[in-house]
Amino acid sequence: MFREIFNFECRYQRGGPLFITTALMFFVFAFLAMASENVTVGDGTKNLNLNAPFTLIQTHFILSIVAMFAAVAFVATALTRDLELKTNETLAATGVGRMPFLFGRFAGGYLFALLSGCAAVLGTLVGSFMPWLDPQRIAPFEFGPYWFSIWAVMLPNLLIICSLVGAVAALTRSLMASYVVLVAVIIADIVVGQNTDPETIGRMALLDPFGLVAFEDLTRYWTVFERNTRVPDMTGVLLANRLIWLTVSAIALAIAARGFDFSIRSARSSRRAAKALAVSHDGVMLNVTSLRTKPQFDGALVVKQWWSQVRIDVRGVLRSYPFYVIVAFGMFNVLAGFFGAITQYYGTPMYPVTPVMLRVVDGSYVFIVFIIIVYYCGEIVHRERQTRVAQYVDAAPFPNGVMIAAKVAALWLIVVILMLAVMLTSMAVQAGHGFFHFELMRYIVGLFVVHGWPMYLFCVLGVCIQSMVPNKFLGMLILIALFFGLNTMNNLGWEHVLYQMGVPSGKLSDMNGWGHYVEPMVTVGAYWSLWMLLVGIVAHLFAVRGAGNDRWAVARTRLTPAVRIVAAATVLSASVLGGWIFYNTNVLNHYETADDRDALQADYEKLYKQYQKLPMPELVNLDAAVDIYPSQRRVESRGSAVLENVHAQPISEIDLHISRLLTINSLDIPGATAIEEDPKRGFHRFALAQPLAPGAKLTMQWDLSWLNPGFVNSGSATRVVENGTFVDNRNVMPLIGYDTGSELSDNNKRRKLGLPPVERLPKYASVAADAPNQFGVHERTTFHAVVSTSADQIAIAPGYLKSDRTEGGRRYFEYEMDKPIWPYVSFQSARYAVANDRWNDVALQVFYHPDHAFNVARMIDASKKSLDYFSREFSPYQYRQFRILEFPAYETFAESFPNTIPFSEGIGFIANLQDPKYIDYVFYVTAHELAHQWWGHQFVGRHAQGETLLVETLAQYSALMVMEHEYGPGQMRRFLKYELDNYLKNRGGEKIEELPLNLVEDQGYVHYRKGSLAMYALKDAIGEDAVNRALRNMLARYAFKGAPFPMSGDLIDAFRAEAPADKQALITALFEKITLWDLSVSDAHVEPTDDGRFRVTMSVATKQFEADGAGKETEVPLDVWLDVGVFGKAAEGLGENDLPVPLLIEKRHFDTATSTLEFVVDQRPVRVGIDPYNKMIDRNPDDNLKAVE
Amino acid sequence: MLQIEHLSKTYANGVEALKDVSLTIPTGMFGLLGPNGAGKSTLMRTLATLQEPDEGSIHLNGTDARREPDALRRRLGYLPQEFGVYPRVSPEVMLHHLAVLKGIGDRAQRNALVERLLVQTNLWDVRKKNLDTFSRGMRQRFGIAQALIGEPALIIVDEPTAGLDPAERRRFHNLLARIGEDVVVILSTHIVEDVSDLCTRMAIMANGRILLEGEPAALIGKLEGRLWKQLVAGDEVASLRERLPIVSTRLVAGRAEIRVVGSERPDDLEPAQPTLEDVYFATLQQHGVNVALD
Repeated sequence: MFREIFNFECRYQRGGPLFITTALMFFVFAFLAMASENVTVGDGTKNLNLNAPFTLIQTHFILSIVAMFAAVAFVATALTRDLELKTNETLAATGVGRMPFLFGRFAGGYLFALLSGCAAVLGTLVGSFMPWLDPQRIAPFEFGPYWFSIWAVMLPNLLIICSLVGAVAALTRSLMASYVVLVAVIIADIVVGQNTDPETIGRMALLDPFGLVAFEDLTRYWTVFERNTRVPDMTGVLLANRLIWLTVSAIALAIAARGFDFSIRSARSSRRAAKALAVSHDGVMLNVTSLRTKPQFDGALVVKQWWSQVRIDVRGVLRSYPFYVIVAFGMFNVLAGFFGAITQYYGTPMYPVTPVMLRVVDGSYVFIVFIIIVYYCGEIVHRERQTRVAQYVDAAPFPNGVMIAAKVAALWLIVVILMLAVMLTSMAVQAGHGFFHFELMRYIVGLFVVHGWPMYLFCVLGVCIQSMVPNKFLGMLILIALFFGLNTMNNLGWEHVLYQMGVPSGKLSDMNGWGHYVEPMVTVGAYWSLWMLLVGIVAHLFAVRGAGNDRWAVARTRLTPAVRIVAAATVLSASVLGGWIFYNTNVLNHYETADDRDALQADYEKLYKQYQKLPMPELVNLDAAVDIYPSQRRVESRGSAVLENVHAQPISEIDLHISRLLTINSLDIPGATAIEEDPKRGFHRFALAQPLAPGAKLTMQWDLSWLNPGFVNSGSATRVVENGTFVDNRNVMPLIGYDTGSELSDNNKRRKLGLPPVERLPKYASVAADAPNQFGVHERTTFHAVVSTSADQIAIAPGYLKSDRTEGGRRYFEYEMDKPIWPYVSFQSARYAVANDRWNDVALQVFYHPDHAFNVARMIDASKKSLDYFSREFSPYQYRQFRILEFPAYETFAESFPNTIPFSEGIGFIANLQDPKYIDYVFYVTAHELAHQWWGHQFVGRHAQGETLLVETLAQYSALMVMEHEYGPGQMRRFLKYELDNYLKNRGGEKIEELPLNLVEDQGYVHYRKGSLAMYALKDAIGEDAVNRALRNMLARYAFKGAPFPMSGDLIDAFRAEAPADKQALITALFEKITLWDLSVSDAHVEPTDDGRFRVTMSVATKQFEADGAGKETEVPLDVWLDVGVFGKAAEGLGENDLPVPLLIEKRHFDTATSTLEFVVDQRPVRVGIDPYNKMIDRNPDDNLKAVE
Repeated sequence: MLQIEHLSKTYANGVEALKDVSLTIPTGMFGLLGPNGAGKSTLMRTLATLQEPDEGSIHLNGTDARREPDALRRRLGYLPQEFGVYPRVSPEVMLHHLAVLKGIGDRAQRNALVERLLVQTNLWDVRKKNLDTFSRGMRQRFGIAQALIGEPALIIVDEPTAGLDPAERRRFHNLLARIGEDVVVILSTHIVEDVSDLCTRMAIMANGRILLEGEPAALIGKLEGRLWKQLVAGDEVASLRERLPIVSTRLVAGRAEIRVVGSERPDDLEPAQPTLEDVYFATLQQHGVNVALD
């Protein structure tokens, strides 16, 4: 019996369009994910082979989640179909058994859901053989990952979801209930997926029904090599996850089998029938005279007709079930987004300010609105025809345009309702975080205008398409194709807003609002609104009314003179506005695409890299006059600089790099003639009539403008804005010599443009002793600047304020530095509030946006404590002043200029540190940047591999020490846990090769994250005093001195000099190799001793590995001191990740892969651990502790 | 008064749905009778301004409906043959909406009208229920309610009783009969009884043409003395058909009653009392329209 039901189900599905379309959809989607650059599934795989096992399996995991919709389509419908077709009673009469029916149908449905999922696997497989793929990114075919995708991903995932959905369908006989389960699973999955920071991922991996989180947990620390070659083993969390959820699905099926009764009538339908019967038919008294109501046809009625239609259409959407499925999906996506965004740095929350909320809405909600529009455009426009309401409504006396106008307005209203919903959600989240600064206007503008406008336009387009096509699915398809078409155009370099339909959005900053984004938004928005008006007119002409009419003939009759005039006026005004946009983007500004920009960069390198090695004079006196005109987004930069030949040979050529965004008003180098000028790429060569002798000087003068006239097509400058300008010398002054910073860094792009792989930094062994430092120079310069801005703003440059005057509506600030600095300066201007304080003789200032006072006191506190530690432990602070200046959140970083630190509003100013349990990253960033006044400004390395070890890693160490003294080692361990996670995770994203710290090539995850870990481990091994002594020695040798600048090896030697012989191997491992440890307790037991104490015996595995640049590991001999600890019962109030005070902790030396240790302790031990505080770089830090048996 | 002159419509696939149809329809109930595919629905849709004819004109009380379709729509009540409802919308909401579309912009007036419509079509008790759960009969009553909105001068009712059970059909006829005398009501149907029960005038249509027009009684009168019938065994019908111009056959107690039109009494047939059905079949036969006679 089972077999017959199963076979029937298979025949039923095999022939049906559902299977064909679903399987085809999955195949095509997976095929494109593999074979097209424009379709991506999953993330962070750009540095891997296209068919890397990791990429393949991740893609299949994600597609298996998408496939749950297929599960509902196949399984839930198979179990509810009879009820819908009202064949259930017939079936019951045939005497089919309950179980064969249930499981036959279920098995058939599952099989086809699975086949659809496997179509995706086939799609990627076929896609990987496409000839146009970059052969360098395609590894030879391997069967393993595909097989894994089938048996470990598709097979269980579809079984799990089919069981859950099928069980509910079988018990309720309701398709809707199955959808509810689906939504619940989606929600659970999203919530789980968002909570994957290192402290929670282990638990979440088990809760995710689809195992994607478990897969992520298992592969979290895989390197490029592993991602490219390994198929995960079915072990650990992944195995546990699969077992848990397969058990859950078995239980679900068992419950379904118990409760299933296929002969039941739906309670609902019988209720309905009863109601229908209950109506009495008698007593009809039709009195036509009493129904006489005179219609009134006037202009007001047309509006009422339109509104009535809008209402009934909106009502239709609001009462349709899929709407809530999609909205629920959107809401939870956006909620998850809010929580993710709010805790993105070290798990510490930030104040949920409106820009943060709006950014999340943009990222995780707007596409939901889009999906709803695409779907409901079809529903709403075809509604009257589909329901056959058109049969009489079309004969009602309303003007032709009313219907189409109502359809558009109904969709707009839906968008507004959706935006309103997300606004309230967003405010609820803010309130939930105790944040009550509701900025209603910002929400309204952000949601209903900035995000809403493109949607409104899209609604019109959708209505037009739908009113022209006979079938709504065809219309949806065209709409989606158009959407992807627009995206593809972008990728093909067709980027102009004149034909890229949309409204350019902008970034919102608390400081600068929508700033300069408003003008293009309004102009381009209006331009496209006009075109959409025309599209709306077309929709009106072709909208179907009645049946069987020639639509072209109808369109001609509707094309009345009035319509013609409106259409002509629309085209005319769109053209005028288009002309104005063109004038802005192509005449006032230079129109360029992303490809154009890449090509310019490539040409710059091809043409001018040959001059990189030419000796150049260097700045020794810098006198700048920078006038900032915030409201015009204009900077006038004049100045003069004394250049000195610091080389041993005469110089006959001077090359300048001048940002190509600058207009050169004049440029004067006495005795020099321009031999090549390329303002388009920003390179200028001058020949000196009289070569500049060694030690000789000349004075160069410039007058440059950074004009930002009108608006650009894309990529507008965010450095010069109405409130919060932040430019540096690269932006507004000539740089001397070839600029490596202008080279293309993406190796894939470089290959396409015929460039060799990028050389990130000069090779360590190749640099000469007299090579320049990290700033590219040998000499420091004096600095004097007059910075002016509008009268209501404060302008700041490095140095001390000499004078401050207001003249002619502008405010002039004069700054001077009393000792030479590296030629690396910033100019900022904004409407600031200022906090003042002092530390000894040092003036402390924080310039902040008045709404962002939250953490200003903490920044000052961090500054004081840092100054205290650094000047005591390293060397005195070289300046009399220290300033932090907020700049808009267009970028999120802080940067350390001499005595001046621009600090993004996005990272510290809005952190919510009220709860002391969170990591204080404001303190950390402040301390780090302040440390750069030493590591960078006092002391800087030679420009070569490893240079950032001397600057970034040391700043990181300095910050760690101040933090540890402030917050204690417990908080430090939590911080380091994030650092470890960040380091290990980002190794997998390496694009070229990972390098050890001594050769680091400006790789953030190495010099910051691994740097923290290595320095902390070093400090732990040789002591803070020894490390600081080494650093003091380095400063004594190199601070404020010229060439030769130190190299990473010099620092490491200084550490070695302070370290005993048995710690030398550790220094090698930490700084000169890519070292990973695998430390674990394999066995631990306890026995009481005769004197009432406890003897603990533990077996530990201690392995050390060295990885190459791609992450391939080799085990190496071990020679290391490690913490060994015994822990008793946890004290009250400790978190589960916190360890109690140890009963015993000591350092032991290890040189074998396994060893057994014995301790005697006074109290009963509960846990033992090897490196229990995770000081070493260990990819599996959780097995370092073990409960004692 | 509705005047239809020389109306023709040929579909893109070559089907001539209307061939030079001319009719003058006074106020009162007018029955349009014809077999399936006769062109009735095309004519109804054309009269309801949903479909453009190729040629011809329609005037309602002097208004040219082709030139000013909206003018006709303002005086039109239309109950189409097959119509749907929005899902999850109640008759109350839907009637309000339709009333606005039909020009009842004033809310107070509309409230009163919708209430009376619901009461009089006996939908008051279910006014908040969703239309898509209604039975066929209830739905037809809703259909008539909406057709009555806005003082229509022309009411078109297309195949209203198809699919109704006899009781529902009777009730529906009662409703239609009360619509009134100062309105043109066109009842299109293929069920002869509908016309004989309700209509003061009628026309028979087939193959896109009007074959016969007049008052039912007068038309029946014309067959008086010209109709003959005989009860025969079922298997004899075929052979009889070769000899006699049989217009209709129906089963009576298991035997077939054949009816023949002719001025002379053929063979051994006996005289029969003509009904409208006989007029209908005779007209069709006279014009060579094949109607299933079994």
